[in-house]
Amino acid sequence: MLSRVASNIYWLGRYLQRAENTARLVNVNALLLLDLPRGIPFGWQPLVQIVGSDELYRSLYGEDYSESNVVRYLLLDQRNPGSIHSSLHAAREILRTVRDATPREVWEKLNDLHYYVIGQGEGALSRSRRGAFLQRVIDGTMLVYAVLSFNMSQDVGFQFLRIGTSLEQADMTTRILDVRSTSLLDPTGRAEQLAPLYNIQWMSVLRSLTAYQMYRRHVKARVNRTGVLRFLLQNREFPRSVTFCLSAVASTLPHLPEARSVERTLWRVRALVQDANVDKLVEEGLHELIDEIQLGLSDLHEALAEVFFKTPDI
Amino acid sequence: MAIDWRQYRCENFYDELCEAPGRPRAAALKLAEYLGSLSEPEMAERRLAAELAIKVMGISFTVYSEGKNVDRAWPFDIIPRIIPLSEWVKTEAGLKQRAYALNLFIQDLYNDQKIIKDGVFPADLLNESVNFRKQCVGVKPANGVWAHICGSDLVRDKDGTMYVLEDNLRVPSGVSYMVENRLVTKRVFPELFEATTILPVDDYPAQLYDTLAAISPRPLDQPNVVLLTPGIFNSAYFEHAYLAQQMGIELVEGTDLFVADDDCVYMRTIYGPRRVDVIYRRIDDLFLDPEAFNPESILGVPGLMRAWISGRVALANCPGAGVADDKVVYAFVPAMIKYYLGEDPIIPNVPSFLCMDPKQREYVIANLDKLVVKPANESGGYGMLIGPRSTAEEREKFRRLIEANPRNYMAQPTLALSTAPTMMEDNTVEPRHLDLRPFILSRGSVESTYVTTGGLTRVAMIRGSLVVNSSQGGGAKDTWIVDMDEAPTQSQSMGSMTQSQTLDGATPQDIAARGDD
Repeated sequence: MLSRVASNIYWLGRYLQRAENTARLVNVNALLLLDLPRGIPFGWQPLVQIVGSDELYRSLYGEDYSESNVVRYLLLDQRNPGSIHSSLHAAREILRTVRDATPREVWEKLNDLHYYVIGQGEGALSRSRRGAFLQRVIDGTMLVYAVLSFNMSQDVGFQFLRIGTSLEQADMTTRILDVRSTSLLDPTGRAEQLAPLYNIQWMSVLRSLTAYQMYRRHVKARVNRTGVLRFLLQNREFPRSVTFCLSAVASTLPHLPEARSVERTLWRVRALVQDANVDKLVEEGLHELIDEIQLGLSDLHEALAEVFFKTPDI
Repeated sequence: MAIDWRQYRCENFYDELCEAPGRPRAAALKLAEYLGSLSEPEMAERRLAAELAIKVMGISFTVYSEGKNVDRAWPFDIIPRIIPLSEWVKTEAGLKQRAYALNLFIQDLYNDQKIIKDGVFPADLLNESVNFRKQCVGVKPANGVWAHICGSDLVRDKDGTMYVLEDNLRVPSGVSYMVENRLVTKRVFPELFEATTILPVDDYPAQLYDTLAAISPRPLDQPNVVLLTPGIFNSAYFEHAYLAQQMGIELVEGTDLFVADDDCVYMRTIYGPRRVDVIYRRIDDLFLDPEAFNPESILGVPGLMRAWISGRVALANCPGAGVADDKVVYAFVPAMIKYYLGEDPIIPNVPSFLCMDPKQREYVIANLDKLVVKPANESGGYGMLIGPRSTAEEREKFRRLIEANPRNYMAQPTLALSTAPTMMEDNTVEPRHLDLRPFILSRGSVESTYVTTGGLTRVAMIRGSLVVNSSQGGGAKDTWIVDMDEAPTQSQSMGSMTQSQTLDGATPQDIAARGDD
């Protein structure tokens, strides 16, 4: 496997996963807003914070976090490298360069989705059509991933795809936890008024990650902060939990050339997640923990790039 | 309204499917009947299905225009072009003969130059050839093959004679579209494949792989074959990716490769460097190796020529093979066939006038309005003068060009290229001019040479136009070689699927009644 191709397949996984997560995020936020009573200060800004591009957003739209601006920014804005449009475009450009290493049906499916997104254009932004649009993006990316999983030899190339999707998911899950846990609502506020909404918000965190149903099955307790944090950080069975994603990365390593530095960084971040005492974490502590996990994920990416994606002359 | 073949105005040219209005040729009878049985909405539907298939399959080519690369869907006409097998057998033999002679010629030019010493080929021509590479003198590639892959363009004149119009020996492209066209036709007209014996075309990638693997400098080991592409911005990138994928080989860019001190070529992999044995290069000679050729090239691999000359890596096509696809050298191919093989050419050349010869030049300049003038080293239909369609100004420009550099120009009579029925935007059918590019894989003898079944039919979509290049408004058709002697065989039916989940004796109604909790 060429280093360049390995790197491309890894990024293909990341972009696909990013498009899917972004679609879910917007979808859930829209639904959540319908449940909140008027006058509750909660809007669209957290979404921009979750994807970590507040700075770019401000430079484009200023302080205006209106629904239409944020949705446009996340779905279609090509100036946002993380928008659904940009992610799919990047995935398609990559797939074009690794067409020889991936089944052609994948190309057909992704091409189809790409043309759909372009074809919908501004029409996708209206409230009435947005749901269908996002669902199509989710279906389309999952279809691409399914075709890859079933039709691509699970050789080293496939391992890089798994690493890419898993790392991206771990990254997204921690981002959602971070932003949602701090900026959902101010729990010191009018407690009586907020109490019934509190659970709705944690449910929306689960829903952003399609985790609500699985949470109910595994946790068998009502939705609460500690339960959600523990489930999304430490559950070993739910595919979007950080622990699961890191285990998925670990399971690829035996199929790859030996790379001590990658193993070391992976163990470090895994231990961080698994050993965290979620019950005791207060607001501040959680934020710090997630920062550390994010740094760990970033180190892991760097280690992978150093070992596998940059091959020097001899 | 369905197609009425009696209204098909094909009488001014040789038409591939119809002898005359209302009279389809024998090989096209079934197709014509079938198309005639479809209503206009049905035809329109098939055409849309083809467009959709092409879009979804991502069959595209890249055009560089207005400073941007634009990826365009492949223009495809759904009505296939048909050639009877009995005729194709002869054409195939002619192509094998030609490719073999061309390879002998290149080997001769870079080694003994007997053909020059024997006065058959003028030394001047060689001296002025821009595609002759001094770096290649003395090299003897495996089996004496320089142009492993050759794409020769065939055209048919008004009387039905098939001619070779030109040979492409550098990096001929288009073969992937030949294979893809067939896939599209199968999606659009599956029923036609039951009624007619149409020879398959999808063997090409396997044949190409065998051709490449056979020239490995380490014949005992499993060779590491790669395809070297200039990258995603090349107009033929689709094809590069397609062929690499179909052959199961790595698609590499220049930066993926390096030449080490042992003169071997390596590729950068996640396992570290890995040796490369054969490179199917789709980069022009001059960009292959900045050490040997264009020092500015960032597409190539420094030291690649050194590795090739020392026999550590095989290149296909060999650098320097383009010396024989010069349009002036073309005029000497019949003489080459005679000289090397002692045979007459099976497929004739289009009669050509060489401007380097004073008498012929005089004739060309006096008849610019009737001739097609071509520069020796352009491809893609660029830099040509099509006399009957030219303005006086253009002719004057060419007169000056020719006189300034006679070696660089040749001229041919304007052929009345054959036509085939082609579907228009409004779903009517009109004749359009076309050519045919078969691909020939050379392996060192006439017998071992492989020729594609048919080839890529390119069609000028604009009424009256003779320019078939996709970069200039050309499209393509599927090309059928039809065996009319063989009766179609019935396909065998398979046993039915019998396994399905048993539900413990409960019927679905029972389960539904039990409900969920």
